[in-house]
Amino acid sequence: MASVSFKNIQKAYGKVEVIHGIGFDIHDGEFVVLVGPSGCGKSTLLRMLAGLEDITGGEILIDGKVVNELESKDRDIAMVFQSYALYPHMTVRENMGFSLRLRKADKATTDQRVAQAAKILNLDALLDRYPRELSGGQRQRVAMGRAIVRDPKVFLFDEPLSNLDAKLRVAMRAEIKALHQRLKTTTVYVTHDQIEAMTMADRIVVMHDGIVEQIGTPLELFDRPGNLFVAQFIGSPAMNVFNGRVQGGSVQALGARWPLPPGSAAVEGRDVHYGIRPTDLGLGADGIAAKVVVVEPTGAETELLVEVGGQQLVVVMHGRTDARPDDTVHLQVQAEKAHVFDTQGGQRL
Amino acid sequence: MSGISLRKISREAQLLLVGIPVLLWTLVPIYHMFLFAISERDTATSGRLWPKNPTLQNFDIVFQQKHFYLNHFWQQMANSLLIAVAVGAITLFVATCAAFAISRLKVRGGRTVMNLALFTYFIPAAFLAVPMYKTMGVYGLLNNQWSLILAMVTIASPYCIWVLKQASDKLPWELDEAARMDGAGPLQLFRLVYLPLMVPSLVAVGTYSLLLAWNEYLYAFLLLSRDTDVTLAVALGSFLSADDSPWELLMATGLIYALPPAAIYYAFKRYMVSGLTAGAVKS
Repeated sequence: MASVSFKNIQKAYGKVEVIHGIGFDIHDGEFVVLVGPSGCGKSTLLRMLAGLEDITGGEILIDGKVVNELESKDRDIAMVFQSYALYPHMTVRENMGFSLRLRKADKATTDQRVAQAAKILNLDALLDRYPRELSGGQRQRVAMGRAIVRDPKVFLFDEPLSNLDAKLRVAMRAEIKALHQRLKTTTVYVTHDQIEAMTMADRIVVMHDGIVEQIGTPLELFDRPGNLFVAQFIGSPAMNVFNGRVQGGSVQALGARWPLPPGSAAVEGRDVHYGIRPTDLGLGADGIAAKVVVVEPTGAETELLVEVGGQQLVVVMHGRTDARPDDTVHLQVQAEKAHVFDTQGGQRL
Repeated sequence: MSGISLRKISREAQLLLVGIPVLLWTLVPIYHMFLFAISERDTATSGRLWPKNPTLQNFDIVFQQKHFYLNHFWQQMANSLLIAVAVGAITLFVATCAAFAISRLKVRGGRTVMNLALFTYFIPAAFLAVPMYKTMGVYGLLNNQWSLILAMVTIASPYCIWVLKQASDKLPWELDEAARMDGAGPLQLFRLVYLPLMVPSLVAVGTYSLLLAWNEYLYAFLLLSRDTDVTLAVALGSFLSADDSPWELLMATGLIYALPPAAIYYAFKRYMVSGLTAGAVKS
C-alpha cells in the first residue's frame, strides 16, 4: 500500500500538449477514479503512473519517492488492461504466476499466492485453462488475479469493464469494489462511465481537456459541482441547464422566476447558467407552468420531458403520474437544490 | 433445393475444369522423373508411359555411389543438409531478432534498415553473384561452406525480416505492456512472450529459408568447387557436363533430392496454424 502524488504533470506528444499541469494526491488505501470524456487525458495520466508513457514535465511520487525515471517493473504497481492482455500461450495459473516467475520466486510461494488469488476471484476451477477457453468476465477476473498475485503497492485499472456487457459490468463493478475493501490496496481506476465512478470511488477526479475540473467524493461532486462541466458530466440523466439573469433575488429565465440557491455569489443583474437536476424538479399544484412533451414510465420512476419557455427540461419523479403529453404541469424548485454558474468560464457562483 | 445443388455441382465442375489441368501440369514432370528413375539405361528415353522392365537398380547405384558422377553422393547430400539447416537457423535468428527490435522495441531507424534490406530485392540475385563472389574472396571464404551459408542468409534475411515484422505487428501491444508491468525486461519479453506467440511465423520463415538454401544452385556453383564441398544441387548439374548423361541416374538422384523438402513441408505444416493469440485481448 502506498500514497501517490502527481505534481504539476505535463504530457506532450511532439508539440501537442495533452495534459496541462495536473497535481493531486491519492492517499494510502484510497480508491480514486479518474473520469472524463474520451481524449481528456485520464488514460495517459494512468499510463504515466504505470511507467508506460514518458513524463514530459512534473513529478510522480509513489510513497514519497519520485518514480519519473523508474522502469514500470521497479515501481511495484500492477495494472489491469481494458483488453485484459492475457498471455494466450499460458494457462490461467501461468498467467497469474508470471510476475512471480520473473522475480524468481520459488514454486511453493508462487503456487500458494496463485491459489490464494484464485480463491478470492473464484478462479479455482479454471486454473488449467487457456485464456481462449474463458468468457469475457472470467478473462477480466484472471487479469485482476494477475495483479493481485503481485501484492503491489498500487493497483491501476484502465477501463477494465468497458468490454463487458451491461449485466456483467454491474457484477464486476461490485467485485472490484469488494476486492478493494478486502485488500485495501491504493487503487487508481480510469473510466469514462460516470456511474462506474460514482458507485466505486472514494474520491473522483473529473478530467477534461487535459486538466482536472474537480476532485471530490461522489456525493460532493453530485451535490456541489464546482463548474458547469462537472455539473453536466456527473449525474444521469444530465442536469438541466439554461441561461438566465439574476433579478430581484431570483433568476429570471424561460419566462419564469427560479429561486437562487442560498449563499450564492451571483449578484443582481448578472447573466448566469441556471442548473437543476431532473430529480430535484418536483410537480405540484402551483409553480412554474410547463407543457408535457413525453412521458416515460420506467416502473419505479417516471421520466417526463417538459417544455418551459421553449426550452426542454427533464423531470424524474419517483412513482407514477397521470400526466399526458400536452398537459400542463407545475414545476416546483427547492432553492438549496439549484446551481448557478458563471456564463464566462462556467464556475459555480 | 435441386437448384442450389445444381449450382453447387456446376461450381464444383468449374473448379475441377481448372484444377485437373493444373494438377496434371504439375505432376507430369514429376511422373517423367519417376519414369526415368525406374527405367533401365537403354529404355529410359523410349517414350513409353510405363517402362517394360521397371527396376530399382538406379537407386542402388546412387546409394552405393557406384558411378563416376556419384562418387560423393552421401557427402554432397550431407553438405546440402548441413548448409540448408545452417541457413535456416541463422536466418531465423537474424530475422527474429531484427523483427523484434523493429516491431516491438521500436528501435530508432529500424524501419529504414528493413526497407534498405528489402531494396536489395530490386537487383536480381544473379547480378549480385559476382560481387558476392568478390566479397567472399576478400574475406578468404571461397571454397568454404561458410561462404554459401552467409550468402544465402543474406539473400533470405530481408524477406524473412519483413514477414516476421508484419506478423509481430499483429501481436497485441498490450501484451508487451502487461509483461513490462509484470517485470519482464526486453530479453524475457522476447523469450517468454514473443517467441512462443511467433511460432507459426517462425516455422514458415525457417522452412522458407531452409528450402531456399536447399534448392540453391547458382551461388553454390560459384562459391564452392571441390567435389567434397559442393551441394547435391551442383552435383546434379555436373551430370549434364557430358554428352551421354546418365539420365536415369540423374532422375533417380533428383527424386531423392526432392524428398527432404517434401518431408519438411509435411512435418511443419501442422505448426503453420494461425490463431495462436486467441484469447489474449478482446478484439
